[in-house]
Amino acid sequence: MNFRFVVNPEVCTGCRTCELACAFAHPHDGKPGKSRIYPIDGGFKELWVPVTCLQCDDAACVKSCLVDALKRNPVTGAIELNREMCVMCMACVAACPFGCALLDPGQDAVVKCDLCGGDPVCAHFCPTKALSYVPIEKKDRIAG
Amino acid sequence: MIKFTINGKLVQADQGDMLLTVIRREGIDVPSQCHHQAVEPSGACRLCMVEITRQEWDGWSKFVTSCLYPVEDGLMVTTHSAKVIQLRKTIIDLYLARHPNSTEIMRLASEYGVTRTTYETVADGDDCIMCGLCTRICAHMGFSAISTVGRGHDKEIAPPLKEAPTDCTGCLSCANNCPTNFIEFTRDSNSLTIWGRTFETLACSQCGKTTITRDFAEHLSKTRDIPIAYFEVCDDCHRKETAKTMGRVVNWTREVQA
Amino acid sequence: MRIESVEQLRKLEKKYRGETESHPVRVHICYGPGCLANGAQEIGDRFRKVIKEKKLKNFKVEAIKETGCHGFCERGPLVVLEPEGTFYTKVKVKDVEAIVEKSLGKSEIIESLLYTNPADDKKIQRYKDIPFYAHQKRIALRNLGQIDQTSLHDYIAAGGYQGLAKALTAMNPNKVIKEVELSGIRGRGGGGFATGRKWATCAKIESDVRYVVCNGDEGDPGAFMDRAIMEGDPHTVLEGMIICAYAVGSTQGYVYVRDEYPLAVVHLQKAIEDAEAVGLIGENILGTGFSFHIAISRGAGAFVCGESSALMRSVAGEVGEPRAKYIRSVVKGLKDKPTVLNNVETFACIPVILSEGGKAFSKIGTPKSTGTKAFSLVGKIENTGLIEVPMGTTLREIIYNIGGGIKDGKPFKAVQTGGPSGGCLPESKLDLPVDFDTLTEAGSMMGSGGMIVMDDATCVVDVARYFLSFLVEESCGKCVPCREGLYQLHQSAVRICEGKGTDDDLEIMQHLSDMIVIGSLCGLGTSGPNPFLSTIRYFRDEYEAHIKEKKCPAGVCTALITYIITDRCTGCLACIPACATDAITGKKGQVHQLAQDKCDRCGACYAVCKYDAIEIH
Ligand SMILES: Cc1cc2nc3c(=O)[nH]c(=O)nc-3n(C[C@H](O)[C@H](O)[C@H](O)COP(=O)(O)O)c2cc1C
Ligand code: SF4
Ligand code: SF4
Ligand code: SF4
Ligand code: FES
Repeated sequence: MNFRFVVNPEVCTGCRTCELACAFAHPHDGKPGKSRIYPIDGGFKELWVPVTCLQCDDAACVKSCLVDALKRNPVTGAIELNREMCVMCMACVAACPFGCALLDPGQDAVVKCDLCGGDPVCAHFCPTKALSYVPIEKKDRIAG
Repeated sequence: MIKFTINGKLVQADQGDMLLTVIRREGIDVPSQCHHQAVEPSGACRLCMVEITRQEWDGWSKFVTSCLYPVEDGLMVTTHSAKVIQLRKTIIDLYLARHPNSTEIMRLASEYGVTRTTYETVADGDDCIMCGLCTRICAHMGFSAISTVGRGHDKEIAPPLKEAPTDCTGCLSCANNCPTNFIEFTRDSNSLTIWGRTFETLACSQCGKTTITRDFAEHLSKTRDIPIAYFEVCDDCHRKETAKTMGRVVNWTREVQA
Repeated sequence: MRIESVEQLRKLEKKYRGETESHPVRVHICYGPGCLANGAQEIGDRFRKVIKEKKLKNFKVEAIKETGCHGFCERGPLVVLEPEGTFYTKVKVKDVEAIVEKSLGKSEIIESLLYTNPADDKKIQRYKDIPFYAHQKRIALRNLGQIDQTSLHDYIAAGGYQGLAKALTAMNPNKVIKEVELSGIRGRGGGGFATGRKWATCAKIESDVRYVVCNGDEGDPGAFMDRAIMEGDPHTVLEGMIICAYAVGSTQGYVYVRDEYPLAVVHLQKAIEDAEAVGLIGENILGTGFSFHIAISRGAGAFVCGESSALMRSVAGEVGEPRAKYIRSVVKGLKDKPTVLNNVETFACIPVILSEGGKAFSKIGTPKSTGTKAFSLVGKIENTGLIEVPMGTTLREIIYNIGGGIKDGKPFKAVQTGGPSGGCLPESKLDLPVDFDTLTEAGSMMGSGGMIVMDDATCVVDVARYFLSFLVEESCGKCVPCREGLYQLHQSAVRICEGKGTDDDLEIMQHLSDMIVIGSLCGLGTSGPNPFLSTIRYFRDEYEAHIKEKKCPAGVCTALITYIITDRCTGCLACIPACATDAITGKKGQVHQLAQDKCDRCGACYAVCKYDAIEIH
């Protein structure tokens, strides 16, 4: 069954639990890594938007990578960054129009959301279910 | 599925995998200086050498660079035999004579217990260990702005004719992957200089933070069909913009529903 | 005119041979590299001019043949009158008129131009009777000196392309491979790999495209066998390649020619064009439906480009650097396609194997090293030049019977075989038969066939130092053991020659050598320590003399010798102006003095002294 990562800013309270969860889910050298998700002020009263990678179909990051370090995982649908292949050119960081490919200075690496390999931790921890990972329903798929 | 042993332990790998990949996957530490997954293995540093044998070889064995030896059924790999360690020590010893000031080489030497070189220290030895990663990565990115010049002991890395390279876009992939940090570059408020050429760096139209060079962005835009406007805003501001745009949509639905 | 069938080729051979034999005398002027350097071109021009002037009856200008290297370069320029075989040595432009008048006009022999046998001081008229030639057997070099070097006419007259004709019409590809396997021929480029097996492997690999490449890079200093063949008999190389192409199913071939051989390129190019014009190369060869094209690729001017993987990258237009692969090039070679790479001399033997049969070839030489091998014989030897002998001939036979022994009757010290990364063998190994395995066992190698003879005035430590310096220069610099290891090995050798060697040096060098051998990427590195390994094996005492006693027994290493003026000095004053540093003083008729602190040890005084009054200590 296929899943889809759904963001519902209406119920986001800006508690930043997702950010913490993400950082701890992607540790390196025993320390938390850089989060790939950021709840940001949406510009209206009590409106927070958790900004993270949309796993775009025609993704700018994938196109920008000259060494094919970014590839879509056919199972999870996530665009994954192969750190062993990345040459740190920063093309994807500069190219992503949503700012979701990031440099993690702590570990000198470029990182992005990988949907935690098919079980996004942020969604687990979001207290208001502003983030969820839900099965794609049939009619959805037809509509999509 | 290919089955073989590493240091006596049975392992599995896919056809076409290289020994080094599997060795590292098994958590065994084998040093390397010229290896990077993005590019074809080259076999220059020889540090990743291991000893291999097979049942039917009757005790005969040989030494191969694991970074470019494809896995084979029934292979018996030893990653730290006495001869292999001797070989690695000799290579490190030779490195130490040639690059006495490199911290990376010193780190490697201490790891292998080489405290000082047996050989004659090379008078003008710099830190370039000739791993060829910079040139290979540059070529793989499609630029080939730098290459090796000369041969033998005097071989060095340089742009063509040692002039500011026209094919360079200032992406810094060479410098970022140099194991000994030998490739120098300098940054200014709105420029970057490498290989004797100065590039304009793009500044975020919102916050002014500098990102990649204009040449690199234009190259990506042209060859990869990415709107140049994407490169005019930094990732932080891009995220903020995204939040604002989505915020407006959400607010609009809110108002409509209210 | 196209040669449409094998029958037509046979007819042509007869016709062409008849034409050649119709000349009562043919003048074969050696246009090989050695003779050209000594004025063969001017001699040829002079011949044509004089013959025109004298209006000789019965003699056509076509009877003047510019041939490939005769091999006896030492005695060049050479002029041979065929079919008699009269052999004129050291011919000068001014001799031409006499030759034309006497030898061509009246069949007289000019005694003064004949070869004098040093053994009995007698003149020898025919080259076949000269010891230098009498002990040879020529297969790869069979046409050198016998035919006009770029003439397809002459090549066909000499039986050329008959091996190909036989292969194409009477044999299927598999049978051709079987014939080559039966011959037992092993690669002449250095590795000694069985050629038949190589072809068989290549033919078996599934692939749309296969390539045939000829290695004409010949980087060994002093070696010129391949050059002589490419320049002097280019068609034999092409014929060998076409046969190979038919056997393995290839349609495209390349000859990779060393950059320093422009003449070879010109001759090969002409040969290719001539062969294309008559349908021996190109589409539908000899009307059989088989097609094969050959292009020339110019070398990149580096020794290492002769190494197979570097060569293939160079042919493909990339940097000529060895590529580490554990897949052989017969499987994945040029442009990643199955490729047969063979040496020039290997290909030159193939036509003979086909026309005479593999069995006949296998009977020559030794069971495991069949056939013959060409060598370039140089160094301190009477007869230097290009030779070809059956495998298994002993070093002594080569050096003393063919080579005429050590120059000036000096004692023999060592013979270096196998090119720069070969090894030095001492007197005690002179009776070893020259074949692939024996030489390797003795710590040297066949290599591509360089043979340098050294007398007792040679210091083997210095020789090792020299070859190491060559290899350090020529290392491509890609892998660490070769680039840094050979450099350090060379540094140690230099130190020893300078008298700065220490007791530890030899042990350190031995260990480093072992590591370079197992650790290097390509053959240059893995055989790189050989100059040291073979000399330390046979001449350890000489190393020790340098290190412990600070002496160079051969008197070569300048830092370790002193020149001394003995009382044989007659006071002739000759050495005083010869000394560049004014170290020698003295009055006429009195024994001169040499100030050691001023002496540069250049040896100039030693060279000018007529009374052997100066000694080296
Ligand atoms: C450093 C190096 C240089 C070489 N140079 C030559 C050369 O100049 N000519 C040649 O025929 N083979 C040369 N070889 C050997 C070739 O790699 C290859 O084995 C040979 O051309 C195969 O042909 P064969 O089987 O007919 O000998 C060289 C090998 C090495 C390692
Ligand atoms: S930074 Fe890494 S992942 Fe991003 S484009 Fe460059 S190489 Fe690819
Ligand atoms: S500059 Fe750095 S990356 Fe390039 S060859 Fe030298 S050590 Fe390797
Ligand atoms: S052994 Fe020498 S010539 Fe061969 S790849 Fe290594 S450095 Fe280059
Ligand atoms: S990593 Fe294999 S040779 Fe350098």
